[in-house]
Amino acid sequence: MKAKTSSSLSPWDIPESFQSLALKPVVVAVAGNPNVGKSTLINALAGVRLQVGNWPGVTVEKKTASCQYRGSRVVFVDLPGVYSLSPYSQEEIIARDFLISGEPDVIINVVDATNLERNIYFTLQLLEIGIPVIVALNMFDEAREKQFRIDTEAMATMLGADVIPTVATQREGLDTLLEKTLAAAAAPVGVKPAGVNYGSDIEEAVHRLSTDLLEREPGIMGKYPRRWLAIKVIEGDAGVLKAIGMAPEDPVRLSATRHLREAHGEDMESLVADLRYGLSSGLVREALSKPVRNKIELTERIDAVVLNRYFGLPFFFIAMWFIFKLTFDISAPFTDWIDGAVSGPLTRQAAFLLTGAGAPAWTVSLAAEGVIGGVGFVLAFTPAIFAMMFFITFLEGSGYMARAAFIMDRAMHAIGLHGRSFIPMLMGFGCNVPAIYATRTLENERDKALTALLIPLMSCGARLPVYVLFTAAFFTASAGTVLWSLYVLGIFLAVLVGMIFKKTLFRGASPLFIMELPPYRLPTLRSLTIHTWEKGKHFLIKAGTYIFAVTIIFWFLLNMPWGVVEKRDSYLGQAGQAMTTVFAPLGFGTWEAAASLISGVIAKEIVVGSMAQIYGVKDEKNKEEGNPSLVSDLKETGGYFFVACRQAVGNVFATIGVASLAAEEKEESAGLKPVLAKTFTPLSAYAFMAFVLLYMPCFVVLIAMRQEFGTWKWAGIAVLYQTGLAWGTAFVIYQGGRLIGLT
Amino acid sequence: MNLADLNPGQTGRVLKVSAVGPLKRRLMDMGIVPGAPAGMLKAAPLGDPIEITIKNYRLSLRRGEAEKIEVEIVS
Repeated sequence: MKAKTSSSLSPWDIPESFQSLALKPVVVAVAGNPNVGKSTLINALAGVRLQVGNWPGVTVEKKTASCQYRGSRVVFVDLPGVYSLSPYSQEEIIARDFLISGEPDVIINVVDATNLERNIYFTLQLLEIGIPVIVALNMFDEAREKQFRIDTEAMATMLGADVIPTVATQREGLDTLLEKTLAAAAAPVGVKPAGVNYGSDIEEAVHRLSTDLLEREPGIMGKYPRRWLAIKVIEGDAGVLKAIGMAPEDPVRLSATRHLREAHGEDMESLVADLRYGLSSGLVREALSKPVRNKIELTERIDAVVLNRYFGLPFFFIAMWFIFKLTFDISAPFTDWIDGAVSGPLTRQAAFLLTGAGAPAWTVSLAAEGVIGGVGFVLAFTPAIFAMMFFITFLEGSGYMARAAFIMDRAMHAIGLHGRSFIPMLMGFGCNVPAIYATRTLENERDKALTALLIPLMSCGARLPVYVLFTAAFFTASAGTVLWSLYVLGIFLAVLVGMIFKKTLFRGASPLFIMELPPYRLPTLRSLTIHTWEKGKHFLIKAGTYIFAVTIIFWFLLNMPWGVVEKRDSYLGQAGQAMTTVFAPLGFGTWEAAASLISGVIAKEIVVGSMAQIYGVKDEKNKEEGNPSLVSDLKETGGYFFVACRQAVGNVFATIGVASLAAEEKEESAGLKPVLAKTFTPLSAYAFMAFVLLYMPCFVVLIAMRQEFGTWKWAGIAVLYQTGLAWGTAFVIYQGGRLIGLT
Repeated sequence: MNLADLNPGQTGRVLKVSAVGPLKRRLMDMGIVPGAPAGMLKAAPLGDPIEITIKNYRLSLRRGEAEKIEVEIVS
């Protein structure tokens, strides 16, 4: 029999036998607490055929994967890792909406075998829904190592659900898990899991509510799992009450819960939570026996050092320094290699071929500078993004990410951020683009957005060539101090803006911190590569398309209208001329400066290149090369790749050294200094550098923001507030400096 | 007294979660329910947040959040 590939499944259509299973995919919701190995389990079950998208309307990642098993197609949906199904957090709402949507046939509940009590609390909530639940008792090897003895049969009896020991990293127990999952999906309709008895008080209220509601609103009762709905109504769950149009003071609810409220007070939500924990504790007492004295765990020993009152902070900063250096030093040679290969041999050969084929000059230019340049531009970001995703995944998987948040929370909280915001902000000093992607380690939408808005104030590597050029031209004596002052200015303004945003754009209580510090674990290479690859691919495909389009647009701006020879007459030049008055009060009201700034929107380092072009400083490099053959180009490019690899490895070991500033200075800019000396003064040069630091982020950052948040809203806010801030700051610097007699 | 008052190494028993709304639910979801023993492990190097053990795992929370949890000292 051939499996149907359609993934649409009508809500209540539960297959009746294995035969009908072959016709429709079995939808398996994979749910569990964070850090229990959910993703690893899905990867192990379904291989790498992951599809990553977003849950509708939100930025929370939705992963699905599918596999064939005994002629059935099984689709796994990875739900966000949550501790509960309360109506308060976005992740929890997503998880529960999917679970009660009728889509899933079975729930696989991944449980950390070393941490049963809190995990079973969540299992109980899943059981309330009424869909068959299979408990995957994951990390069973760790539990064994700790000499935990878990009576899985007792657990299964008490929960009324299958309990399968698994070790996802070793693929242990997965066959049984799949088997039981399919068997549960094939169970005839109407055979509901037994459910856990919540005690006569609650059960009586559940019973009364379901009968009363069924009588009064049969339509609504048909839409939700009955027991689940009754429990939510008892709890007074705001989301559910609203969805079914019921007031908390509804007589049906009040009369069904009267005996509960009389005995336990009005807080039904806590009563039910308390009860679930009571049941969970009871179950664990029955099913788990632990060695009397636990030896001191590895996690405890590591934390004694890395969270130490005195060593904790230094260790943290050293670790961050290494990760930062590793991310950008490993990726830099590859970025340069891609850049070189694309702008050199690839462009050359394409131009050669097109010219040979008799294509008009503008087509050659569009293909070489626009199209190939655009592709190269997208590719140039990938090494840093891959490297950063790798380290972020490592930090998350190892458990240190939570510690980093723990250590930095106090400082970050002061400007309205979460401890987890620190790492994305730090990455911003390398490149703002991966930094924006790193905000996904933040759980809360508000924290994410605020962090993303402040990241561009961290002076990224692309701004450095601009500073280097100007400090070399105007501040030879105090170059270091001037350079430092710019980084400090960015941080200072980030703190200031953070405090302002906290009181305006992000008013309201700051989100909770309450966070698990998971045990340290060594992430598997497999999960590291899968995660890194997924994120990198995502960037290439989704962001790549936008970036490519924008580079083409810029090509037109630079080369249009038709037949333009002088840069001054291109659309870009015209825009620059139109904007001189805007920049005049800042001390650099020339069309050249304005046009360079506009082109800096592509990437801030381009400011330097455009200045060289606009001021007519000739780039000697490309002139003397003849037309090397394809073979020599290939050889050269291949050779450089190995050089890049060697450099990357070399950089790892030379992690302590800082790249000398002189190396940043490109030959093209050397000829610029005398020209700049004529149009800028030291004061206006400093104002210009401050402007470059602060004005709107480059468009790749904006695209990254769009991609992470699914809306242009934050990108738009970033453009507006930063450009305003840049203008204001440069104005204060220039006019203020003149007032106190600087030039 | 509240959870934030415990010294490192001390264990308390949760008497009452006096927070309301989402904070209360979140604390209870994480296992901070009346009767549960909660051990103070340490404060972060900058003094806040704090790390506790509850239900056999490690949880960190800000002092402001811990102050909403009434405890009595057990040991």
